[in-house]
Amino acid sequence: MTTTATHTRARLADGVPTELGRLLPEGICRTFRVLPYAVADGTVLIAVAEADDPITRQVVEERIDRPVQLVRHTGNEISAAIDLVYPPAEGAVETADERRARVQMARMLTSSGLVANEQLQVAMVEYSRTGDPIGDILVAHEAITEDVLVAALSELHQMQRVGLSDFTPDLEVARRLPEPLAQRLQAIPVAATDELVLLAVARPLDAEQAMDVEEALGSPFRQLLANRTELDQLIQHVHSAHYVEVSTVALMESRPEDSASVVFTGTQKALGICVGIAVLLCAVVWPLGTLIGLVAACSLLYLLVSVYKFQLTFRALGTHLETDVTDEDIAALDERTLPMYTILVPLYKEAGIVRRLVRGINELDYPRTRLDVKLLCEEDDVDTIETIRSLNLPPHFHLVVVPDALPKTKPKACNYGLQLATGSFCVIFDAEDRPEPNQLKKAYIAFQRVAGNVACIQAKLNHFNQNQNLLTAWFANEYSMHFELVLPAMGAAGSPIPLGGTSNHFITSVLRELGAWDPFNVTEDADLGIRLHREGYRTAMIDSTTLEEANSQVPNWIRQRSRWIKGYYQTWLVHMRRPGTLLRETGIRGFTSFNLTMANAFVLLLNPIFWTLTTLYVLTQWGLIQQLFPGFVFYAASAMLFVGNFVFVYLNVAGSLQRGEFGITRTALLSPLYWGLMSWAAWKGFIQLFTNPFYWEKTEHGLDAGDHA
Amino acid sequence: MSATANPPANPPAGPSAAEVAEPVDPAVDHVRSERERLAGVVQSVHQRPRDIKRRPWESAAVFVVSAGAYAWFGYWLVVKMHVVGFETLDRLNRALMIWHNDPAKLSAIGFDYPPLATLLISPLAIFRSIGSSLAVVPLTSALFAGLTMVALNTLGRRAQIVGPVRYAILVALALNPLVALYAAGGARQLIAMSFVVVAMGALVAWYVTADVRFVMLSGIAFSVAALSGYSSLLWFVLSAIMIGGILAKLGADGQEVEGTTVGFAAPTLYVIALWTVFNLVLLMKPFYWITSASDAGGGDPGAFTGVDLLRSTGELVLYGAPIAIVALPALIFVGASKNNPLALWLGLMLAAAIACPALSVLLDLTDSPMQMRNSLPILLFSVIGGLWLARSSESNGLLVSAVLTVLLVASIPWTFHAMKSYRYQNLEAPFAAAVSTGESQEGSTTLSGASVGVVDEQAMADYIKANISDRNSILTDNSQTYAVMLLTGRPDLFFDRVDHSDGPWKTAAQAPAQYVDYLLMSTGTGNDLLSQFYPDAADGADPRLPVVYNTDRYVLVGVPAGFDPDQPVDEVPGTTATGGAE
Repeated sequence: MTTTATHTRARLADGVPTELGRLLPEGICRTFRVLPYAVADGTVLIAVAEADDPITRQVVEERIDRPVQLVRHTGNEISAAIDLVYPPAEGAVETADERRARVQMARMLTSSGLVANEQLQVAMVEYSRTGDPIGDILVAHEAITEDVLVAALSELHQMQRVGLSDFTPDLEVARRLPEPLAQRLQAIPVAATDELVLLAVARPLDAEQAMDVEEALGSPFRQLLANRTELDQLIQHVHSAHYVEVSTVALMESRPEDSASVVFTGTQKALGICVGIAVLLCAVVWPLGTLIGLVAACSLLYLLVSVYKFQLTFRALGTHLETDVTDEDIAALDERTLPMYTILVPLYKEAGIVRRLVRGINELDYPRTRLDVKLLCEEDDVDTIETIRSLNLPPHFHLVVVPDALPKTKPKACNYGLQLATGSFCVIFDAEDRPEPNQLKKAYIAFQRVAGNVACIQAKLNHFNQNQNLLTAWFANEYSMHFELVLPAMGAAGSPIPLGGTSNHFITSVLRELGAWDPFNVTEDADLGIRLHREGYRTAMIDSTTLEEANSQVPNWIRQRSRWIKGYYQTWLVHMRRPGTLLRETGIRGFTSFNLTMANAFVLLLNPIFWTLTTLYVLTQWGLIQQLFPGFVFYAASAMLFVGNFVFVYLNVAGSLQRGEFGITRTALLSPLYWGLMSWAAWKGFIQLFTNPFYWEKTEHGLDAGDHA
Repeated sequence: MSATANPPANPPAGPSAAEVAEPVDPAVDHVRSERERLAGVVQSVHQRPRDIKRRPWESAAVFVVSAGAYAWFGYWLVVKMHVVGFETLDRLNRALMIWHNDPAKLSAIGFDYPPLATLLISPLAIFRSIGSSLAVVPLTSALFAGLTMVALNTLGRRAQIVGPVRYAILVALALNPLVALYAAGGARQLIAMSFVVVAMGALVAWYVTADVRFVMLSGIAFSVAALSGYSSLLWFVLSAIMIGGILAKLGADGQEVEGTTVGFAAPTLYVIALWTVFNLVLLMKPFYWITSASDAGGGDPGAFTGVDLLRSTGELVLYGAPIAIVALPALIFVGASKNNPLALWLGLMLAAAIACPALSVLLDLTDSPMQMRNSLPILLFSVIGGLWLARSSESNGLLVSAVLTVLLVASIPWTFHAMKSYRYQNLEAPFAAAVSTGESQEGSTTLSGASVGVVDEQAMADYIKANISDRNSILTDNSQTYAVMLLTGRPDLFFDRVDHSDGPWKTAAQAPAQYVDYLLMSTGTGNDLLSQFYPDAADGADPRLPVVYNTDRYVLVGVPAGFDPDQPVDEVPGTTATGGAE
């Protein structure tokens, strides 16, 4: 119940108990000019400047669970009292001019009927948390369109507007403003005379920005307000050639030794041929001894990989290795301090799930005004592009059309989008991803807590359709083990982490400094994780999960997995070009960890061979096979067959239990069948490494039983 | 088209994303937070619940002190007093054969013992000189006794028993003569029990913290225990049922109960299935492992009536683990009256430990029934139960743990006295005699009539080491001569039944001259296959097979070139039908 009065027994000037004053958050107090200051007969007295404002009344009522009475005071009285309850931080409090502009904007929009009271209330509350411009908030929440906002701003600032939707730029003019400046200020020249340049801007430039622009242009200019979406598209169009070049060849030219554009270096080819010849010669001279040697080497490899993985997972079972971020930490976060966050979403022929994607991103617990969502589409993917355009998305969604150029890979698209990124942090999500809503905040908080050299926070991945069929359940078992046990242990051990395909959060500047993703590597994520480590950066894990769609059809699964495994081979070949350098950069532990992690892909190649030998021996008791496994080789192989295999099965069970996915623990017991599929994919990937190394096996999404509309 | 200034003030807005989007199905589209996803889960997953702090150094200290003390005491017991179990020598010989036989074979572990009872001690035999030394015998149990003490100490910490009292309990248990004999004498029972105690400790931790990873640790420990001693399967089954029961009582849904139970049971079921398959493939008897459980030192099962079994069970508890007489009713009382399912469960486990020997007899699953060593699990479960009772007593925890200590201390002389005369035993009486008198037990006999000591084995081994160097030159039935083989440290000298399996071995036994130079046989045993082939030679009375060296228990005979077993003795030049070789 709320009442309003202009006179009460208690007085604001008598002072406000801090605990009482803090019944309302600071943002609400300052935005709405309200402050609880006394309690009389169980009723909380609220000092308020605009006692008749229904929005203010409702906001107060919703936040105080006792009867309240609004008591009219002057704005100055209330502001002074708020400053006592919440001592203002320098620069964090809205100035009088800013307040005036905000109120003016709100009045303009409400008086013209463009915004309803409810919409304004939502926006005001968000404003009280973030301090972002009220107009931007309204647009982000689709209460008004960007065009309406531009019109209102034009009115407020008495500036002309410009429509750019069908504008064909004069590239020479448009490029007079250097790309970095154009990106940073969201401005671009649209016309020029000898004396004056007409500059389309997203928002009026301040004096300092104007000076930078004038200096860059070398002539005076006049600002024209433009729709942010249209402006963004224009900037992309004008500088697309530059973006394409950077996204495809930057790494290859600046760090050729890190680029997978060459699969095998000359040295590697020579070494491979020499080893092959040596083995062949040995096989001719000592056929049995050579075979035994090969079997022994493979068994040793098996054993080392298994022991390493077991050690990692056992460690993860023992302790909590992720960077802890609690719900309380998130609740205590001051949203005004949140940085701009870029979300890169590569899409290819995924028009069908665009709407679901947009909804998912809008569900994120992060101010939309601080999101910079890049929807990265290939130029030839007309369906997806048209679908996105048809949605008239608010300006925090940016359609990025990547011009057709080889290699046509996801990392190239991400590199392209990264150049347009305005966020201090960035993250990749796939189109079908369903990140936990508070993941961005968790990652941001984690970045504040981890060591200074952590440049990447990896969230966990799992599947939303794990119960669809046996294949998806196995996939979920595998991911549970990998993301609940293996990666946290690797992160805690400071080992190089092959990043997961999505939900890796980066410090944008570091990512750019490293040359971002290798467009020629088909598991660019794994490669980037290693490159980060080599440069002295580290990756940490957070306890937040992004749900993906697990492949539910075997052919599709094989395509995806063969690409991943091929990428592992590529990554291993790239980083082992100079093993000594790698050892020096990563240390013995990192070097060992990297090789044992990558060796897993080679073990998958060996599996069918050893399974065949075992089966043949059981069926035929063939003496030759027995001879291949003398003494200790036999013990190692037996240990792997009877203990190792079970350990791996059980680690899948353990991963699922650790995650609390009890329904799929039984399917983990059948995972040896899954390994058969993995070996199939491994051989496919291995063969492709020689025949079609850069081919990107596209994974088809939307095969789950759920609705993706 | 050029840029146009001042477009319409309020252009018609296109449909918003929300308007264009199709209706949202919350069930499909809602992205659940981790908190929501785990809302119905009763166990603690995805987070670390509050638990005792890890103290690796304390655990290491407990392990080193207890294992070291038992190893030192065992050295005195085995090497000086010659109180040594032949079962241990048999397993050690098999371990030695894994690494040093010719050919080295994993199948040396055989099917007579649970496989891990041998495999787990095989690292001690990697180095020939160490593996063949009597000094290593105590280590084969002392290390596992150390593990048991570590697990009990951790359990005591979870039971919130203060350090001094906790250590007093451990010391009192460690000094129990039955524990001391089996921990220091190389007995395999300690191996299985150590892992059962670890598994129980993990389950108690799970009950206290609800942390699901403890279920997994317990499951893994039970799987090792199962292949170290089959009787641990009984406690495994009870634990699996209890886990499901406790979860259901806490309101867990079917998936959680099933998933957790699968996680717990999978390792044990896997190892048992694997072992069954091995038995099937190699012996054509899938359940041979359980129907033929035997001990090398076992006695005659004899016949038991129901009354006998009851009386023997009572004696087992009374003399071997009298503390159970207090612990069992206390656990059941606390479990029933204080809604304490774990206490009830531990009571059930203790009851199973008490009933297990009699059940084995009833099911004909043992050839050494009601042995005093069966008190060992009863004693350990009583201690685990006592620790839990101390925790359950909250403010009276100190009192309960003090009572536990006193009972343990009081049972030391009681059990020690009983060991001297308990009917069904192995080395208990010689052990008591050695401790009482400090004199070597070489040449004495156990209450079941077996000889104590290894002088004969050592003498034969010394002779072989000094005089024979050719590999596979001595044909022998390793199931009877393992002690000699072990003490030579050279299993490769012997053509045994493991080398090429029984078929080729029998072929060689029928025509030894084609394969070997010597036959090593045990005397006074009808179980030696080679002695059965050549009974006269085993007695040293076959003139065709001259005795090269013999002791009271073994005889080594030479196999002359051209020796034909089918040739009548009286056709051998220089012999008569009644005379022996000079």
